[in-house]
Amino acid sequence: MLDLIGLGKRFGDKTVLQDLSFSVGPGQMFGFVGTNGAGKTTTMRIAMGVLAGDRGEVRWQGRAADAGTRRRWGYMPEERGLYAKMRILDQLVYFAELHGMSRPDARRSAEEWLRTLGVSGAPGDRLETLSLGNQQRVQLAAALVHEPELLILDEPFSGLDPVGVDVMAQALRSRVERGVSVVFSSHQLELVEQLCDAVGIIKDGRMHAVGTVQELRGGDRAVRYRVQVDAPGPWAHAVPGVTVLADGADGVLVELAPGTGEQGLLDAARAAGRVRAFAPVDPSLAELFREVVNGTAHAPSEAPSGPSEAPSWPAEGREEARA
Amino acid sequence: MTSPTADPTSRFWASVRLVARREFTERIRDRGFLIQVGVMLAVLLAAVAIPAAIGSGSDKYDVAFGGPQQARVGQVAAAQAQLLDTDVTVKTYPDDAAALKAVEDGDLDAYVAGGRIVVHRDLDQNLAAVLQSAYATVERDNRLTAAGIDAAAVDQALQVQPLAKQTLDPDADERDKRKGIAFLGVLMLYGMLMLFSVWVANGVVEEKSSRIVEILLAAVPARALLTGKVIGIGLLGLLQMALTAAVGLAAASGLGTIELTGSMVYPAALVVAWFVLGYAIYACMFAAAAARVSRMEDLQNVITPMTSLLIASFFVAIFAGQSGGTFAQILAYVPPFSAMLQPVMTASGDLAVWQNLLAAGISVVALVGLMIAAARVYEGAVLRTGGKVPVKDAWGKGS
Repeated sequence: MLDLIGLGKRFGDKTVLQDLSFSVGPGQMFGFVGTNGAGKTTTMRIAMGVLAGDRGEVRWQGRAADAGTRRRWGYMPEERGLYAKMRILDQLVYFAELHGMSRPDARRSAEEWLRTLGVSGAPGDRLETLSLGNQQRVQLAAALVHEPELLILDEPFSGLDPVGVDVMAQALRSRVERGVSVVFSSHQLELVEQLCDAVGIIKDGRMHAVGTVQELRGGDRAVRYRVQVDAPGPWAHAVPGVTVLADGADGVLVELAPGTGEQGLLDAARAAGRVRAFAPVDPSLAELFREVVNGTAHAPSEAPSGPSEAPSWPAEGREEARA
Repeated sequence: MTSPTADPTSRFWASVRLVARREFTERIRDRGFLIQVGVMLAVLLAAVAIPAAIGSGSDKYDVAFGGPQQARVGQVAAAQAQLLDTDVTVKTYPDDAAALKAVEDGDLDAYVAGGRIVVHRDLDQNLAAVLQSAYATVERDNRLTAAGIDAAAVDQALQVQPLAKQTLDPDADERDKRKGIAFLGVLMLYGMLMLFSVWVANGVVEEKSSRIVEILLAAVPARALLTGKVIGIGLLGLLQMALTAAVGLAAASGLGTIELTGSMVYPAALVVAWFVLGYAIYACMFAAAAARVSRMEDLQNVITPMTSLLIASFFVAIFAGQSGGTFAQILAYVPPFSAMLQPVMTASGDLAVWQNLLAAGISVVALVGLMIAAARVYEGAVLRTGGKVPVKDAWGKGS
């Protein structure tokens, strides 16, 4: 279990992180989303210990993380970098050994990861002779080669082709199945929604929402439906408690006011014409993300109950969002 | 598999060993390095072999004589040459023209006829002395005979034992050779210190510019990375230095330029030993400076003070060190000047072994302080990318 508790960081006059907390359990994949400059990379660098935080704590299995515990973590920084002129196998063996593996184990693991990640090119090839996508796979292998208990990956999917994304996603899933905790940041929100058990949305150095995508949607959020009816004209406007959000070729998107039942909507639709589609619409992560970023986040009525229990909407964040 | 429970100290040194091994093995496989070693050895062998070749050729002369007295003059000249430790071979040519042509072609060093010495360009002093005195002897004998005096009797009377030479400083000759070794050694020391220190600096920037340092520092402490890098590259330097010294001494003794005695090997060993200390001092400075920049283009800018210091200490060693003097006597104990001054001044007999040890001790103390300072700057600067990190910011790490 990784716990980041109340992280704070300033660069000069600029506050880049403020009271940021979240937790990642064993076998959990945590997606970290936020706009550029929101503080994702800083958070990850503090977690990895390559940057010192001004405030807060990084805990692993309940104890403050130190160099010894971090050696069992794997890290892929945002700015990729390996030794360009070094042979890829030697490179991976070197990293595994730095993380405390014995030489034979390191070699075995390195060879296995090169195979698993489908790196094309002989193990004796120099890194610089590989394509960028392949270099990125080697970069992931460097983070995975010592069989870490926790993976912290900054934008692991950026710059990969669709096949590369699949290989990377599969590699991460297989780690999670073995009980490894994974934290990664990404701008590809569909991918995050698809892969992650939990998501954290960061804005201006604060965590604005943490939880599963389901939890982020909120229990008492207004319910939305997409209804497609063969009707001669608009029909939904007249239905009480219903707000039309969009009207297009694929039907109308409506929001039901609290207390309004979907059966009334269906009845109205059937009265208007032949109903071709009638389905509840959950906001995607991308929509939730936009709400947070644009400051229109929908706040659940429940108060946050603890750092590890999601969803939690920090009070300050809500105030700021309303301001 | 992993040993997370190992204590931090042994983990630190395990990391240092890994980093050093990578630096060593990656670089020794580098073609550029191997070429560089080859060039260095070739230059050294040339430096040893060329003077030997020139030196052995310079005391051998071919001469010819013309005129009625030619056989007699040739005989006397050969005898005189022996006395002067000069090797003169007397050749004969059918006539004047043939002999003159031989001089012009360079086959003959001198042709003596008709009261003149004919040479192509210039006449070596030794040869001149031999020829002049041979001619004078034959002429004298002729005139004595003409005057009715027995030349042989006069010769007998004039026969004196040549003055024996006694050198008050028995090592003088050897010292010159030792100075030669030390000079070559300092030249090499300078080149190698520059080469390997810059290598350390390049390595630091390479890791910083490729951001690999972030991955490395997530696994090992910054000090282990710095220490391993300096040690790994240093071992490579030491290997090359020892190899060069061994090959140089072996070649020089093989060619007969020097005899391998303790007093000849000591300056060479001193050069190697001071390479270790000098390198450690410069490498720390170069590494700390290099950690301040993120791009190769900016490297030259931050290491200029260190390269200037290295060049200055080289010139001090060459000019002040060769001549001795108070200035050199003081600087010989001041790191990093001591690294190049000590071998030179010891070779010329200005410093004794205890003085070598004293200077080495001072250097080691300075080195410890420098390592602590360099590690602090390195730690404070190596993760800060972007522009040049001010020393003050790097020093007050963590903020």
